[in-house]
Amino acid sequence: MKTFILALIIIAGSLLIYGTQDMPNWGDPQSPASTHVSPYYIQHSMIDMETPNIVSSVLADYRGYDTMGETTVIFTAAFVCLLLLRRRNKEQGDQ
Amino acid sequence: MLDLLLSKYNYWLYVILMMIGLYAMLAKRNLVKKLIGMNIFQTAVILFYVSISVKTGHVDVPILPYHHHGHEQAAINVAHYLNPLPHVLMLTAIVVSIATAGVALAVLILIYRKYGTLQEDEILKINKEVGA
Amino acid sequence: MVHQFPALIIAVPLIAALSTPLIGWKSSNRCYYWAVLTLALVTFFAIGLLRSVILHGPISYHQGGWAPPWGIEYYVDYLSAFILPIIAIVSLLVIIYSKHSINKELAGRQMPSYTLMLLMITGLMGIVVTGDLFNVFVFLEIASLSCYGLIASGQGDAPLATFRYIIMGTIGASCYLLGVGYLYMVTGSLNLADVSHLIPPLYHSRVVLSAGVLMLVGISLKMALFPLHSWLPNSYAYAPSSASALIAPLFTKVAAYLMIRVMFSLFQPDFFVKIIPATTVITWLAVTAMMIGSFYAIAQNNLKKMLSYSIVAQIGYIALGIGLANKAGLTGALLHILNEAFTKGCVFLVVGAIIYQTGDCTIDHFKNLFRRMPFTMGAFTIGVFSMIGVPPTCGFFSKLNLLMGCIVDHHWVFVAALLISTILNVIYFFRVIKVASFEKPEADYNRKIPYDQIRMQEVPLSMRIPIILMAAGILLAGIFSGTITNTILIHIIPAGF
Repeated sequence: MKTFILALIIIAGSLLIYGTQDMPNWGDPQSPASTHVSPYYIQHSMIDMETPNIVSSVLADYRGYDTMGETTVIFTAAFVCLLLLRRRNKEQGDQ
Repeated sequence: MLDLLLSKYNYWLYVILMMIGLYAMLAKRNLVKKLIGMNIFQTAVILFYVSISVKTGHVDVPILPYHHHGHEQAAINVAHYLNPLPHVLMLTAIVVSIATAGVALAVLILIYRKYGTLQEDEILKINKEVGA
Repeated sequence: MVHQFPALIIAVPLIAALSTPLIGWKSSNRCYYWAVLTLALVTFFAIGLLRSVILHGPISYHQGGWAPPWGIEYYVDYLSAFILPIIAIVSLLVIIYSKHSINKELAGRQMPSYTLMLLMITGLMGIVVTGDLFNVFVFLEIASLSCYGLIASGQGDAPLATFRYIIMGTIGASCYLLGVGYLYMVTGSLNLADVSHLIPPLYHSRVVLSAGVLMLVGISLKMALFPLHSWLPNSYAYAPSSASALIAPLFTKVAAYLMIRVMFSLFQPDFFVKIIPATTVITWLAVTAMMIGSFYAIAQNNLKKMLSYSIVAQIGYIALGIGLANKAGLTGALLHILNEAFTKGCVFLVVGAIIYQTGDCTIDHFKNLFRRMPFTMGAFTIGVFSMIGVPPTCGFFSKLNLLMGCIVDHHWVFVAALLISTILNVIYFFRVIKVASFEKPEADYNRKIPYDQIRMQEVPLSMRIPIILMAAGILLAGIFSGTITNTILIHIIPAGF
């Protein structure tokens, strides 16, 4: 069983490495990721928001909705733990 | 070939890390080891994203020098600052991975209370004896 | 006003979920009424959005006022407007039903349960309404985490089943996230419309190929398409009744919506037909899913596990419709999503009613159930007819469209597989109906009452009405399926099919 999984992993890994051939080089300043959307953030963060920390301004303002989703994820995890782990003194002892 | 390796070796490293995590998730018998494998897998994806934001040359972290009001601001050269967007996305993804790990640990506590063990084959054996 | 609905349809259940602990800390009845009120409002928003999209076309909402691609955009087009009322109506009926069921099965834990149910509905709505790829991941995780919690609170082997589901679900979500990362690396944008315009020149690059495959693998894991379906039967069988009635009709169908989005809106349909033969692989996996799901379902004695294997088979139908990539096939897949939501909602509510009344759901214990619970079993029969494909239920029209889609492209093996799996559906469902209605033992199984003296012992009214309404919904969806096809589904199918 373990050898079968190992073979599967090696095949998946080599397919993924095969897929990395066409990727932009590491650190290329002309890659599409660095030239399409993010120059706007770097240039306008101070103008729009008077905030020197660009990551904060993107996190809290341009993409603040994702941050709201992230806090909801934490809330969900807290309530899952509440649902699963809260002991009621009379009913649950050590099951 | 050597040129290929040198310019893209970071992606190879993340693929190897991902595969280590995937192997731990699928092949290990202890439930906690599966959970750690899941965490390694998610960490590999996070590192992959952060590596997209790197720029070679003389670059700074994406924090602008702060000028007080009234001073003139120098023009901001985009090539001097890292790409901030993958960092933002990965802050969210790190939080999501921690939340998932927390939920998984709560479920593991329930499993331990019920079966007394965290080895998957022992649990299946207990199930077979009880449920037969 | 309607232009604010895309934001309100997320904000209202989210704020309701956040305030459920404040409202219902001591009293669980208040949680119940708060949840029903919220979902009634959400249904109003969903139907308002559907009406507005039909009359005036797609709606775009910029979160925070930032224009895309620099901000997050919510884009409600015909496909989203079709799925939203389905989620809203099914979840409203299940929450109305859930009062007595949750009080019996999860006594003392109602407040976290209602919170998690509202959060799950928020997550599902968010996946459907958003137009930003990373936002899909965030809402997918909200829905998944609440799903894990709801399932793990069940009896029996629920925690181990949930742990397996967590491992497999996280692999799926991470694969999807990796696919989004690959697309970001070659385009620089995360907005769905923007990326779909930027990638056609790059279709032969290996990064885009890997991205497409990774996203499809991740979504198939969430959708429980064979061979990545092994988490589903145990998870849905051991969950509490209301939780499984909420999750089973909706979660896999929203993942199917996501697959349609990725295959036909994000990438051009030609990409998955010609450049990677993904549609061929998907159709063959779908046919295998149909067969395997039906065979395993025949062997089950627990009604909930049998229905979970039936979900695996029905997801095979939907995936077949998606993979056929022609007009009739996609129409069949979309109608089948509608059908599945109402049908599985109906039958899982029925199973919950049976558990509430008799204590377990082993099929051999169902003797004389028709006499004791006529309304419930009548609705179950309508659900069974819809799964088999008897007119005028919606299942008939969706299967007809799927058959026409297979015939148009001359896939005779798929036609045979559809017909064989329909016959298998008949076998395992009619066994349930036969045990429940036609067997007349000398004494009733549980109570040793002579047959003539068995009286009707139905579930309370708040559980009966949603079951009857779901069954009515199946019939209405079938009768109006022509109208639905001509007003909504025509606009979803990409040009050139």
